[in-house]
Amino acid sequence: MVLRSVGNTVRLLPTLLSLGTVVGWAPNTTAADERPNIVLIVADDMGFADMGMFGGEIRTPNLDALARQGVRFTNFYTTTTCSPTRAMMFSGTDTHIAGLGNMEEMVAPNQRGVPGYEGVLNDRVVAFPQLLRDAGYHTYMTGKWHLGKEPDKIPAARGFERDFTILQGAGSYFDDTGLNMRSPKSIFTRDGKYLTKLPKNFYATRTYTDEMIEFIESNRGDGKPFFAYVAHQAPHDPFHLPKDWLRRYEREYDQGWDVTRRQRLGRMIELGIIPEGTRPSERMWFLPAAANLAPGARAIMARKMELYASMVENMDHHIGRLIEYLKSTGEYENTLFIFFSDNGPEGTDLGAMLRGRAGSENFLFHAIKWSQTHPDAWGRAGSYVGYGAAWAQVSATPFRLYKGWLAEGGIRSPLVVSGAGVRQPAGSINHGLMHVMDVAATILDIAGVDHPSNYNGREVAPLQGKSWKTMLAGDAESPRGSEDWLGWELWGNRAIRKADWKLLWMHKPMGIADWELFNLREDPAETQDLASQHPEKVRELLALWDEYVTTNNVIIPDRHMFESLEDALPVRVPVSEGWPPMNFKRPFVPPKELLDEGSGG
Amino acid sequence: MTTRFLWIVWGLVLVATVPARSAFAQGDGPRTHWKEMLTDTNIFSLTYMHASGNVDPLDPALRIQPGADFELDLALVGYSRSFALFGQTAIATLLLPVGELQGETTGPLATSDSARGFGDPVLQLDLNLIGAPAMRNMPDLLRYEPDFTLDLVVTLGIPIGEYDNDSLTNIGQNRWYGRVGLPLMINLGDWVPGHRTTLEFMPAVWFFADNDDFLGQTLENDPLFQLEGHLTRDFTRDFWGSLDAVYYAGGESTIGGLSGGELGDLAVGFTAGFQINDNLMLTAGYTATVDDGMDDLDLGVFRINLIFGWHELLEGIDRLGGG
Repeated sequence: MVLRSVGNTVRLLPTLLSLGTVVGWAPNTTAADERPNIVLIVADDMGFADMGMFGGEIRTPNLDALARQGVRFTNFYTTTTCSPTRAMMFSGTDTHIAGLGNMEEMVAPNQRGVPGYEGVLNDRVVAFPQLLRDAGYHTYMTGKWHLGKEPDKIPAARGFERDFTILQGAGSYFDDTGLNMRSPKSIFTRDGKYLTKLPKNFYATRTYTDEMIEFIESNRGDGKPFFAYVAHQAPHDPFHLPKDWLRRYEREYDQGWDVTRRQRLGRMIELGIIPEGTRPSERMWFLPAAANLAPGARAIMARKMELYASMVENMDHHIGRLIEYLKSTGEYENTLFIFFSDNGPEGTDLGAMLRGRAGSENFLFHAIKWSQTHPDAWGRAGSYVGYGAAWAQVSATPFRLYKGWLAEGGIRSPLVVSGAGVRQPAGSINHGLMHVMDVAATILDIAGVDHPSNYNGREVAPLQGKSWKTMLAGDAESPRGSEDWLGWELWGNRAIRKADWKLLWMHKPMGIADWELFNLREDPAETQDLASQHPEKVRELLALWDEYVTTNNVIIPDRHMFESLEDALPVRVPVSEGWPPMNFKRPFVPPKELLDEGSGG
Repeated sequence: MTTRFLWIVWGLVLVATVPARSAFAQGDGPRTHWKEMLTDTNIFSLTYMHASGNVDPLDPALRIQPGADFELDLALVGYSRSFALFGQTAIATLLLPVGELQGETTGPLATSDSARGFGDPVLQLDLNLIGAPAMRNMPDLLRYEPDFTLDLVVTLGIPIGEYDNDSLTNIGQNRWYGRVGLPLMINLGDWVPGHRTTLEFMPAVWFFADNDDFLGQTLENDPLFQLEGHLTRDFTRDFWGSLDAVYYAGGESTIGGLSGGELGDLAVGFTAGFQINDNLMLTAGYTATVDDGMDDLDLGVFRINLIFGWHELLEGIDRLGGG
């Protein structure tokens, strides 16, 4: 009896073993092992043309290496400021649904209390890191959050297993000095707790990288893939740098913004980022030609761009450290890298805006905390330096305008995707129409995770973004077809893009407070309004705008930050290069042979 | 914004770093050899000095006269101009002392005497060797951020001042004298107005020709070694202070073949500097020797300086109202 039982058992053993494999006796990580790590790096306020492989002269060897190994995308869109972009990135749907229909700082009276306008990432959406975590990914975040400060809104509540973040939109890079009286201290979290003390020798860009490396290292070898989101504060102002980074670009921008912009344009054409013959947008009418500035004034203005360039290179340096770490641990080959900027470069004097007028509480705050105004102090703690509209135009080359506006300069972002799963030719450039809402769809698709219609007992908005997985695999040119379109609205500015056409409404004086039509293939800098020549196209795109408003419950704000801008700026006039001649012509020098010293007497 | 802001910046750097030139063995004072200025900058200085002790304060050799008590009230008028030399910043200075010196000696040959009038004019060349290239334009000046500077100072006293060969008390020295020094500055922090901290040293050697008409005898002096040190610090953008020390060694005097002792003395003190406006700075300071004994050097010096600096470019911007 015993022998027969043993024999029966022995015969059953292979079956039993195979059953164990199917049922999951083998570790769950067998399936997870095949899924790639995903590193998502988002820069803050970096321009389309800043990094080397997009035509910039700023030294970004690590980002350039990712671009050489991967793909650059030239028609990738965000929206025009930080938190709405980040809301769309995490939710995969429009910002007016996800809670950032307006920024927390600017919600208009007619938007208050309306779902989608909470100023935080709301519960009508599920953040994709939550879904990744549920599906067995480690989820890590360092850097800027800007999507809510309450305990149920911070990163730990939205799917991040580990986090080290600044909750506000900006602040000092050296400590927790905040930006105004209503936000005097930057609030940091670490692993779901609000920090009362920052790490020793804190410097934002470096510390965010250090913390991320520590997070990844802490679970290395457990077989689970990770999603690492590094939301750099850089190069958002104030420009703050360690001492040995302050002078790296000394004298490199003394030529001025006009020359630098032309040089970038040339390189962008050479690289194939933009087509031959692309005309850049005109210099803003309230900016002087750099050639008309005295050398000292040009040096002062150049100093700001020198600091900005150092900020970008410093960020690239720390991105390189993360990449090197992943290479050293053998994780690099199985990692997908996604890099972009959250919106266009900052051309507004944010420091002046935050400071307000003398006598205000914010002015007092800045007098105490942000009054290191001497040029020798720029870049150091206590200084608030941004680089202004002229250099922002350089960053946004060849496009018009910058952050805060829905012209291309405010919403066209440099996107690099590289690494695991990317089969398009290394170093190639793709011009397909893409949007930041696609990030959630793409990452979930790559991770093999479905986006639910319900989460934790609540209905959640469906994805509007499109996955890039097929395109990255080389099986498609673009995630969108010719009938697909995109829409934007922020602070009353509005835009629709379909194929090569863009319908744009912007407040005066940057726009005309009416719809303008541009053909972006022929005129990427939006210099020629074709609305009167193509009324049928205007009607077509207006219908899409109406659909956009209805689908996403867009409410045009009854108050916005551009209300008095037309009065504050000089009257808008055309900008003609080299005009007036009296400011540009060379001094007359008489011919030597006709000189006469005069006879005197 | 731009031109007005620059005007302010220029003004501050024009004067804030140029305390009065002083070329006596009491020491030059803190921040005297800073070079943060455009070439062709003009500086006018007016110094009042009160000194007392057992030496003639105007004697660069600091020849001790035991039992003597000297009191000096001196005004020093100076003009300096910066220029480029060998690609570096250089400053040429002319100083003219005028004042009154009273002296009393005790003992069997007690005397009481005074002298008043013009002293020996002093010429000085201060040439930067390391760290301060000539700054010919605003971009150069804006980028000046020294970690370390080293200069060469050459000073010459011209013996044409008031002199009475029958008196111990004279404003002039009746002999040629000069100095070679190597001032150096180490920047200890950020080079940002309001935050600057520097450590400064000046080793120097004074040389003396003979005075062959000193009370009917010949006065000779060995070289005098001097080491000056300062720790300076900005308290605000317009106010700074310094702790000062000067050490003297050597300088043995011989009169009619009879030699006195060598110096080996230390003086300590402090200085404060105030930026009154974009062109005008005031400094005040006091140093006194540390008294180890009766025969040691005993000298206390109080100085107050007004320095006015100007540059043609700055004046033009000012006339235009700053833009």
